[in-house]
Parts: sequence; C-alpha cells; structure tokens
Amino acid sequence: MSLTVADPPTAETGGGTPTVASRAREWAGRAPRQVALREKDFGIWQEYTWERTWDLIMDAANGLLALGVEPGQRVSIQSEDRPEWVILDLATVAVRGITVGLYPTNPAAEVEYLLTDSTATIHFAEDQEQVDRALEVDPARLPGLRRILYTEPRGLSSYDDPRLLYWEDFLEMGRSYRRDSPGGVERRMAEALPDDVMTLVYTSGTTGPPKGAMLTNANVDYAMTIINGDTGLRGAQIPGPGDLTLTYLPLCHVAERIFSTWHLVGCGICLNFAESIDTVQSNLREIQPTLFFAVPRIWEKMHASVMIKGGDVTLFKKIWLGFGLRLARVIGREKVANGGNHTPKSWLLNLVGYPLVFRALKERIGLRRCWHAGSGAAPIAPEVLEFFIGIGVPVYEMYGMTENSAVATVNYPGRMKLGTVGEPYPDIGFRIDEETGEIQTKHPAVFLGYWNKPEQTAETFTDDGWLKTGDVGEWVDGTHVRIVDRIKHIIITSGGKNISPSEIENTLKTSPYVKEAMVIGDGRKFLAALIGIELDTVGDWALRQNIPYTTYRDLSEKPEVLELIQKVVNETNEKFARVESIRKFKMIPKELDHEDGELTATQKIKRSAMEDMFGDLVESMYS
Amino acid sequence: MRGRPKLFTSYVAESQLFPTRIQKVLVVVGIIVLVLMPFDLPVISQIPIVRFLGDNIWLRLVNRMLIFTIAALGLNILSGLAGQVSLGHAFFMGSGAYTAVMLGGKGSANLWGWGLPIWIWLPASGVVAALVGIAVAPAAVRVRGLYLGIATLGLVFIGLHLSRVFPEIAGPGALGRKWPRMQFRLWKEEDPLVDFSRDGDWFWFEVSKNQKTYLLLLALTVVAAVVAANIARTRTGRAFSAIRERDVAAEIMGVPEFRYKTMAFAISSFYAGVAGALLAVLAGQVPPESWGLLLSIQFIAILLIGGIGRVSGALMGTFFVVLSPRFIEEVIDWMKEQVDAGGIFSGVFDTLISTGDGDGGLLAISETALGYPLPASALDELVYGLLIVVFLLFEPLGLYGIWMKVRNYWKGWPFSY
Repeated sequence: MSLTVADPPTAETGGGTPTVASRAREWAGRAPRQVALREKDFGIWQEYTWERTWDLIMDAANGLLALGVEPGQRVSIQSEDRPEWVILDLATVAVRGITVGLYPTNPAAEVEYLLTDSTATIHFAEDQEQVDRALEVDPARLPGLRRILYTEPRGLSSYDDPRLLYWEDFLEMGRSYRRDSPGGVERRMAEALPDDVMTLVYTSGTTGPPKGAMLTNANVDYAMTIINGDTGLRGAQIPGPGDLTLTYLPLCHVAERIFSTWHLVGCGICLNFAESIDTVQSNLREIQPTLFFAVPRIWEKMHASVMIKGGDVTLFKKIWLGFGLRLARVIGREKVANGGNHTPKSWLLNLVGYPLVFRALKERIGLRRCWHAGSGAAPIAPEVLEFFIGIGVPVYEMYGMTENSAVATVNYPGRMKLGTVGEPYPDIGFRIDEETGEIQTKHPAVFLGYWNKPEQTAETFTDDGWLKTGDVGEWVDGTHVRIVDRIKHIIITSGGKNISPSEIENTLKTSPYVKEAMVIGDGRKFLAALIGIELDTVGDWALRQNIPYTTYRDLSEKPEVLELIQKVVNETNEKFARVESIRKFKMIPKELDHEDGELTATQKIKRSAMEDMFGDLVESMYS
Repeated sequence: MRGRPKLFTSYVAESQLFPTRIQKVLVVVGIIVLVLMPFDLPVISQIPIVRFLGDNIWLRLVNRMLIFTIAALGLNILSGLAGQVSLGHAFFMGSGAYTAVMLGGKGSANLWGWGLPIWIWLPASGVVAALVGIAVAPAAVRVRGLYLGIATLGLVFIGLHLSRVFPEIAGPGALGRKWPRMQFRLWKEEDPLVDFSRDGDWFWFEVSKNQKTYLLLLALTVVAAVVAANIARTRTGRAFSAIRERDVAAEIMGVPEFRYKTMAFAISSFYAGVAGALLAVLAGQVPPESWGLLLSIQFIAILLIGGIGRVSGALMGTFFVVLSPRFIEEVIDWMKEQVDAGGIFSGVFDTLISTGDGDGGLLAISETALGYPLPASALDELVYGLLIVVFLLFEPLGLYGIWMKVRNYWKGWPFSY
C-alpha cells in the first residue's frame, strides 16, 4: 500500500486540491481497519475496510492509467449501487477523469444519447443487461469508447466484442501497471485543480433530453463543508465513523452521491449497499442505519406498508397498534408544531409509546437507530412526515438541485416547519426573485455549466450570475421557504387563474391508493386529472372487497376502484379552493415506466410525453 | 456490529447456536441451575419445577429422562435431520447395552463378560452400535419411507431372536443379566476411582448416588446435545437436510446419498448405543424384551410430540414423554386421596376412578388387565397415543412448533409478519 504522495504538490501546479479521492486516502491512512463499505453477497454482508477500499481504488486508478485515461476524459458508469461504483468513481477522480453516472434503468436509446453526449472513454456496464445496452450502440457513433468494463461475468462468456474487459482483469491490469510504473496516480492526484470537473450529473430532464451538469472539485468541496459543517444539514451534529447508511438510490443522482460517496469520504461513515431497490425494507432491518435519506416515494411506501401490515393483524395487536399510532399522531402534531423538538406533553406520551410500540415498530422498519433522516428530490406529504416524526424517526425535508450541488435549504433539527423545505444555509447566496417568485442561488457550489451546452448554460444564469433553479418559492414567516412548483408546470386556466398542479398532485398521492397523478388544465375551463393506482395497495384492497381482477388496466377500470379514487379526489378537493378543485379524472390504463418514456429515471412524470400518449384521454374529459 | 442482530458479516456469525447475548446468558444460567438442581440450595430449590425434580425420588426418573434424551437426539439426527424413518432405534440401543455388558459385566461359565472399566465399555457400546448402523444403512439407500420403517422394524425382532440364540450374551431367562455398575476404574482394580453407584462424600459435600449419576448424565447429555446441534449446522447437517427434502435432488446437487445416509445411521446408532448402555446400567438388570418395539415407538412419540428435526424438540419431547406417566400417576393418587378424604372434588373424581369391585368409574386403580374400567397403569400409553394423533393432526411440528408460534407472535410485534 502506498499512502505517500510521490511528488508533493507544488504551488505552481495548484495541486493538493482536496478531492473526494484525496479525502478517501486520508481516511485510509487514518482508519485503515475501519469498515468503509459493506455489500451483501451470498447472504452475508461482506466488509471492505478503508485499507482494502483504498487499495482497490488505487488498483482501479492505475488500471485507468493503463488504459490511457487522460485528465478530463470521461468514465461512465451504468450500474446498480455496488462497491465497484464508488471505487471506480473515486479512482476516476484520482486520475483527474470525469465520472458520468447513468441510471441502471436508462433504456438503450438513452444510453446511446448519454454515451455520445459525454463521449466517454471507458464505460462500466454492470452485467449482461447493461453490456447489451452499450453494445447496441453503433460503435461508429462511439469512436472514443475504448473499453467496456463489466463485473458480473454471467452470460458474457460468448461475447467477443474486443472492447469488453472483466473488472477483475482490469484491476489486475492496474496492479501490474502500479508495479511497473508506480507513482502515476499519486502524481495525478497532486496535480488536481479546484476547477477540474469531477463529475457530470445528468439531470433527469422532464422536458427535452438530459443535460450533463458539470460539478468541479471546488463545488463538491464547498458542498461537503456546508453540508457537514458546524451549521450543516444536521445542525451541530456531524456524522462520523460510527455512522451507517444504506445506499440504494441511484448513485448517479446527486442526492445519493451526497449522502453516500461524499459522506463516506467527508465523514468516514460506512456505506451499506442494498441488494436492490426491492430489498430495501429487509436490508434496512438488517443494517439499522443511523443516517438515512429517502425520496418521498420511499417514505410513502414505508408508511403505507406500516398501515397495511398494521391492518392485517390479530385483534389484540390491532388494538395495541391502534393505540400506538394514535399516540404517534398526537406526538407528531406536538413535535411538528414545536420545530421538531419534544414538548413536555409529547415527551411524556413518547415515554409511554416507545416501549409499547415505537421501539418495535422502528426496529421493524429498520430505523430504530436512525438519528437523522432526510427527504428530498420531490415534495413529501405532511401526513407522512408527521407520522415518522411521531414514532420518533427525525425526518427533515430539504431542498437543492444538481446545479447547485444540492446546497440550498434545509430544515434544521429543532427548527423545522412542516410543509416547507427549511431555511437557506447560512451565508450562501439565496434569493427569491420578486417578480417571478423563482428561487435563485449563488455560491461556490453552483455548477460550472452544462456539458457542451453553452446556450442552455447561459439560460440557467441570470445576468448578475445567479443560478435560476426553475422552482417557484415563497417565504414562510420570513425564515423558511416553501416550494410552490416548477415554473414550467404552473397552470393558467382559461379563467386566468394561476394554479400549482404539484400541490394538488401531491395531496392526491398522499392516499396509499394513488401512485401517479397529473393535473391538467392549462388554458382550460376547469382542472382535470390523470390518476394511476398503486397496484399493491389497490390490489390488496380489491382482494379484501372480493373484487376479482386480472390486469392493472382491468383493476383500475373497475367501478368500485373508480369510486375509491373518487373518494380520494373529493377529499383532496376539500382542501383546496373551488377553482383548484378537480372536476373530472380518468385512470391511466397502464403502469408508467421509465423504459416507455413516461417517467424520468427518477420516476417523475414527463408531462409532455404524457400529453402525447394520453392526449385522447385528456380530450375526452373536456369534450 | 453491536445492536444489529440481523447484520451478519460472516457465516459463522449467522449460524451461531446462541446469537444474542441474552441467549448466551440464559444458557449459562440454565446449566448452572441444572447442575445445582438436585442439591437443596436456598434460592434454586424455590424455582417451581426445579423444586420437585430435584427431589431424590424424582431424580431417578430425571436420570432416566437424560438417557432418553441422548437416545432421542440420536434418532432426531437420523429421522429429523436426514429424514430416514427408523423403528429400529431400540435395536441399536440394545446393541450398545449388550456390548457394555459383555465388555464391562462379570463373566462366568455360561455368561460372557470381561469386566473392563467404563472408559472402555461406554465408548465401545457406541462404536459397536454405530458399526451395526453402518451395516444396516445400505438397506436405507434401497428402500424409502414406509418400507424403510418396516425394514428397520425387522431389526427389533432380529434382535429379540438373537438374544434367545445367544444366552451367553443376553443372560438366561426373563430377568436378563446384571449390568456393570456405574463406577470409574482405571483398570480392573478393587476400589473404583469414582463410584457413581453409592452414596458418599465428594470433597466436603454429602452426595447421594442419584445425585452423582445425575451429574454424570447431565454432562453427557449436554455434550450430546451440543454435538447434535453442531452437526445440524455443518456441511454434514446441510447434506442430511438435503437428503431429507429429496434424496434424488440431493444426489444431483452433489450430495453423495450413500455416504450421508450411512453417516446418519452411524451417528444416530452411536447415540443409541451409548444411551442403551447407560439405560441398562442405570436399571441394573434388564430383560431382552425391553429392547422391543414399544421402546422404539416411545422415541417416535418423543420426536413427534417434541417437534421433529430440532434439538430443542427432542429435549421437550423427552421431558414430556418420560415424565408424563409419573405426573399422571401423581394426579391419580391425588384424586384418590381426594375421594377418600371427601371434599368438594370427591364427587367428580369418584365418577372418574374406580377403586375396586362394583365402583363405577373410567380408571381402575387396582386392575392391571386392559378393558373397562381402564387400568390406571395403561393410561400413560393411552395419553401419548392420543397426543401423537393430536399433534400429527394439529401441530405437526410438535411442542417446538407451539413454541415457534408463540415466538413468532412476539417476533412479528407489532405486526403479524
């Protein structure tokens, strides 16, 4: 192991810039025996110590050098979360390359777009499925692509594309390169500059093709200092080597990158890779992470599963659990009203509820040891937040976007406000444009621009250099920020009324039966909605009601289900003004899917694609 | 990682016998209580069951129970783990017992016996039984299920026949011959080094022979149970389970059927042999008929009632089957006393038991022949016959299954699953 820098950085080279790779090296030197990564393999959580992790990063980095990766060249990764993702990511940064993350769900067409747009030199495709997608692209369109790495050899033995390279062989290549010409990676690391682009994060692109946001070493460094500083995400509490998190959201998304990779190298926490998105529940139970970040969809699913499982118990447990959940509601309300802190009343109630229900309940959902959880990337239903806070899982909503390295606002422990995304971090440039209501930020973590898209980059900045987030926000009590909607999504009805569809959609989605909702009404007389049911819960409900069904479409068109959804719609309408009420709705006849182009990789509805696809459904509501 | 019981970072951790700290503490406390049970100590003798099991009269029965436990653990490996039905367990026990008496018993003109010490005859009884088991095993590879049951049933009758052919081994007549005493000698010296068969002093304590035997048997049982539990979580144990689920599939998975079935028979018979030797020694004198079908069936009952396939099932089953006749006896005695004394219950009990001629009732205290009224001595057989039926119908996993249900109820808390 070589932890020493061969060529010490000099002032001329501007080297010695802290990068995620150099931070990883520091941890490897400081805590070599500490477990950095954990991955479940053959039913056992295999552990990677910092020493081994750094060794692998060095092997991979030397492998990249052996393959001739020059500074600034792109290494793309299309894989589920696994140690190789993090190792290759850090190795790429170590050799001053640029990591490009692809969603494992990106279909072949998008893979082609992303690989050609980023002109990647090395592509990491996890397994046969991902390799197939990469090989589908005409090699002539990817002249720069030298190698396609893969780590799951199953099914690939008969492939004879010369670009394919097995991960272990790649590491071996790196090892021999390291033996023959040591110090190469160390030199590259010493040459790192603050303005080196370290990653392209492709935005999901609800409109138009994805754009690669360039984040530099300086961006990430600033983001890490802000997020885990004394006035960071968690107030004065800073995570450390004793903390665990579960890594399960796509690592190419900026949120998971922050909460996994950047926390790993920034604070030395231990990453535990979930087997897959479907096993998150059971992996959570095993790992019992101390830090957790989830998108609203996951929180809502967890909440729904508690409700469903809780309804499926024997009488004694039902009474018991019902009592506990009632307590949780009261505690949640009290705490939320008090900024997330206990009031004497909620503290007393918790004293009763914790041993009776909350402890076991939290153990079952895997968040018993969680002292800080976050929700972001989309708005979350307040009821869900209140529930988790009530049972004692401190969930805080936060807000940020790829373009500002997610440095914007956060709900601080003890100062949270329900329905807001919190307060701006102290001393960052944050403003809400008075005219448009758009949120704008300006600080060192704001990105360099979009990869190869100068016009779009220019459009993203105001004349005085502030980043336009595209989100409409408003101040709450002068300190907290509430997100109204994306600017582009605001509906202006034919009556001239401005309506934010997201709020209505999210209220609809609070119901465990509703998975997707899209409110329509731009230039129309009234609002209508397309609603997609949640197959699991509605299916379960139908089973209990003795309603036979065959397919998703069949189920969602049952008159009983329509009635059920009508009830949800009516409840939602009660919460909004008359002009904002949904007069008509239609069921979406299929489950929306990324592959079919209706959803982005982050499961957000692509409105334009939806309007194309279900245009006749929409028209039928207005005729 | 501490405080994360489901986070396993190695297979060793995952297959631990007692994964949690509380379980470890409970096991240690349990063993300490068991060791101290027969001695009338202030705190421990106040624990409800311990109080009377530690009693000298009950202790003899408890000793018998421990021996049965060893034998049941053996059958559990064969039938529970490897899934091979065996009605020949009594035969293997007999093999062990007669090995013990030949090696350890006193010889005479018409009896074979070499008077060797216990450290030879006890292991030898296991080894010989295991060899017999290995000899029988090929049959198990050829026949399966019910047929294997019948084939092994044959063993029991072969055994009875052999005992008549060789009176030099089995002893003459219906009483059987005398087994060696439970004494530890280095060789054939006059005074045993440790004598488990007489009351006496150990260090500064006065210890009765039952207490001494109890401690010896307890140690052997604990060892037997630990070994059995460990077999279940090794490669061998997994191979057994594979064969149990489907021997053809196991063979295809690369589990050599012949080898593992032989191994299962050998291990199971070893347990049976040792238990048989101990049982005969404890009784002192045993007629050859004791190693009959009834004994085999008792072990089937133990496994079915306790829960097949689990060490704890074998433990619970033995406890229940060996001690329940005695409990029933006590209850009947108590009922009789109530009838004699007259009281609130006397009317009820009077209709239940019949004390002699003319007295109506279901249970006859004085009768011994089967029929109506039922002799009280036959009641225990009736009870566990009924229990086998009930368990097979309603709780095929036995007492262990009930325990699992209770445990899962709390494990799933506050949900059901």
